[in-house]
Amino acid sequence: MSAIRGLPARSPAGKGFRLFPKPSGRIGLAGGLILGAGIFAAIYLISAPLGMLLVAAFRGPKDLLPFEPGSEWTFANFAAVYLDRDLYRIIIPNTLVFVAGAVALGFVTAFALAWLVERTDLPGRNAIFTIVLFPLLIPGVVVAIAWIFLLGPHAGWVNVAIRGLAGLSGDGPLNIFSMGGMILAQGVALVPFIFLLLSAVLRSMNPVLEEASQVSGASPLTTFLRVTLPVLRPGILAPLILAVLVALEQFEIPLVIGLPARINIFSTRIYYELNPDTNLPAYGRAAAVALPFLVAGMLLLLVYNRLIRHAERYVTVTGKNFRPARLPLGRWRGPALALVAVYIGFAVLLPLLVLVWTSLFGYEAPSLAVLASARLDAYRNLFADGGFWLALRNTFWVAGASAAIVTAVGAILGWTVLRTRLWGRAALDFLSFVSIGIPSVIAGLAALLLYLSLPVGLYGTVWVLVLAYSYRLAIATRSTRAALAQLHRELEEAADVAGASWLASMRRVVLPLLAPALVGNFVLLFIVGFREFTLPVILQSPDNTVLSVVLWSLFVSNKSADAAALGTLIVLCVVPVIVLARRTLLGRGEV
Amino acid sequence: MTRLWRLMAATLLVTLAAAGARAQAPQAKDALHALYEKAKAEKEVTLWAPAAIEGSWVPAQFEKRFPGIDVKFTPDLQGATKIIAEARAGRHTVDAWSFSIGGMLEVQKRGLLQAEDWSRFGIAKANTFFDGQAAATHNFIYTSIYSKAAVKPADLPKTWSDFLDPKWKGKLVAQAFLLPRLMGFLALEWGEERTEQWGRALIDDQKTLIVNTPSESYLKSGERIFTVGESIPQVYQYRADGVDVGYVTLDLVPAGQFAISVVKDAPHPNAALLLAAWLASDEGRALYDSIVHEVDIRPGSNSTYAKEVAAAKAKIILEDVSNVAQRAKYYEEFSKLVRGQH
Repeated sequence: MSAIRGLPARSPAGKGFRLFPKPSGRIGLAGGLILGAGIFAAIYLISAPLGMLLVAAFRGPKDLLPFEPGSEWTFANFAAVYLDRDLYRIIIPNTLVFVAGAVALGFVTAFALAWLVERTDLPGRNAIFTIVLFPLLIPGVVVAIAWIFLLGPHAGWVNVAIRGLAGLSGDGPLNIFSMGGMILAQGVALVPFIFLLLSAVLRSMNPVLEEASQVSGASPLTTFLRVTLPVLRPGILAPLILAVLVALEQFEIPLVIGLPARINIFSTRIYYELNPDTNLPAYGRAAAVALPFLVAGMLLLLVYNRLIRHAERYVTVTGKNFRPARLPLGRWRGPALALVAVYIGFAVLLPLLVLVWTSLFGYEAPSLAVLASARLDAYRNLFADGGFWLALRNTFWVAGASAAIVTAVGAILGWTVLRTRLWGRAALDFLSFVSIGIPSVIAGLAALLLYLSLPVGLYGTVWVLVLAYSYRLAIATRSTRAALAQLHRELEEAADVAGASWLASMRRVVLPLLAPALVGNFVLLFIVGFREFTLPVILQSPDNTVLSVVLWSLFVSNKSADAAALGTLIVLCVVPVIVLARRTLLGRGEV
Repeated sequence: MTRLWRLMAATLLVTLAAAGARAQAPQAKDALHALYEKAKAEKEVTLWAPAAIEGSWVPAQFEKRFPGIDVKFTPDLQGATKIIAEARAGRHTVDAWSFSIGGMLEVQKRGLLQAEDWSRFGIAKANTFFDGQAAATHNFIYTSIYSKAAVKPADLPKTWSDFLDPKWKGKLVAQAFLLPRLMGFLALEWGEERTEQWGRALIDDQKTLIVNTPSESYLKSGERIFTVGESIPQVYQYRADGVDVGYVTLDLVPAGQFAISVVKDAPHPNAALLLAAWLASDEGRALYDSIVHEVDIRPGSNSTYAKEVAAAKAKIILEDVSNVAQRAKYYEEFSKLVRGQH
């Protein structure tokens, strides 16, 4: 009842919930082994890239790789990066504006969409859920190009239309090549990622508190501000913090749209260090630039932990059954659908249209006259190429296996951190969180060095990709923690009292309740893995090529139609995963 | 009279050289055939190059020419880093490596490329680099591409400086990767200061759009009508994609130099040398030209584009071991300018 009244639930800690550090407790040998394996895997998967990042930051000179004979310990990388006035004059201010703007836009939009889909009677929720996730499937470069098609100052479709209607001449009035354009494109690109995480949180929320507020006469706005938002705080903080870090790391839109605007930010600085015009990539300087990501991650983690110190305050799922009620939209149904339609039009349909159109017509401008010249040559080229089929097989395998590993390890870690008193659990939590601050290019280099040196025969195989992809534990751990924070311990205690083993309690009580969050994690990680580009490029061999590498190779070779065809096929491959996940695991008649 | 003697001497030399080449041709063929016999047992060879265009066509052509040896091709712009990392770990997966000679420097400096006697395959010493550690295959020719629908032939620029004409303001696009490299070549001819002024005017005054993606979409959509500093193969690629474009041969023709090397401790050394020697031979270089339009305009080249350049009386600025470091220094600086870093 305490949870229903919004008061802190009574913590059972110290009442015999015997977990670590008492291995003889009720976890049992099998449970201990599972937790131990999960913790070991987490440490292994993250420590290698993290260690590499730290080592590389202090190794120089810049024309030697960090491990080469002749390289030595140095602060030169930091001096080169942090004594540069432009860092403080240009890069930091630009980065702050870009990240704040993109996250604000992305978060507000994603929250509105997730709330409409999960908490209201909006029609077509199932379809909308799937469609909102579409942009995750479209390569970032394609999304950026689609925005240029739309808002290019000279020939952008929207600008041409506005000039035509208003009788204007010259360029504009809108210009995608600006800070505003970058924020718009990145903010919209962040929406599906935040939406997926927020959906799981909103879906798991017991509406009793909102109902009680409404019964007490509170207006919907008051209910939202004073009940819904405070209850959801840990659940929405995790996506917010992750969104900030993801926005910091993004470089596709800053590169494609920011470069013509001549706007440099942190991620492009890292990109330039790793793609120098001469010599070898400056891994040391890139690592020195990347370290602020870690510092930012640490600070955000501190804030997050402080805010959810008493996780029980946010428990809304207890042993009592509930059926989420949906808020009737009434006359707001029309505007809500219009909002969804605007988002879908800009973020989903346009990039998708560009992708499919380019695969069939190359760069022909859309017109009815062109329709008759549709060619399937690009698809034929792909299907006739044995390398495509190998890459397709590899991609499914690597994305699926790594998503499963990260989801499982993240769940174990999340449970260990929140439910046990294991010594060092805070360090584990920290370790998993900072993984998001490790740029994938550094993780790729670490994996390259590690598996080249280990005599285990993984180098050049798909397994090296599976392991390299699996360092991103932050999303899974945060999301599991947020979902677990909403499950009262009494559920596990009840199972414990009833004589169920730890494994049985997990399998029959906790995992079913965590399923939405876990499936959400898996789907997100699968999609991220399916699109992953940096890691497979660094670790590629003829035997482990994946689709994103083939796509990029086609793109930079200017085989735009073939690249677009492959992009379309990637979308087609992943859509069934989202639909199946939604229908068979998440929906369960509730949507 | 002296002039007549000189002419006769030159004719004699050319005749002797041609006779020598004719005599050398069967020997080169024999050497290649003998190497093929040895390489057969290795069954495969791994080739790395910076981009797909540089080698995706090779496996099929090599299979036709030398059946039984499978070419495994991987495009990788960071090939140098991986070769160094693999060598450091005592693991070797790459056999032959194709790259620009500028991009090869770090690997070559570390002694990771195998020196070969290319002359036995009929490859002239002048077409080799780093004391035989690499052999020339093709050039990366910088040109400028325009939309035929938007630019009249009479308006075409004749020199690189012509792009500063106000009529091109707001109409130009350039790739962030290629423009500084082009400027590196121009600086070899113009000097650093003039080139920097040209680059600043191009970006600041002419409002040239600097992009990180192929410029094809900008030409096709009409967002821009002229690309400053593209390559010849892109012209054919754009046309194949249905974009009606032309290119101009300006007063200076910058030409980057691509070469091929056998990597030390290659797992398939005979097949690697066979592949490298074949790609660097007249036959291989002709295939680069006919299949992907990667032309060769080194002295003595018979390629169509070399003839075009001669007809236009343009001056070729050829990348060579002697100027590669200076050019690299220039374009490192110009890159910052192009990216807006200072």
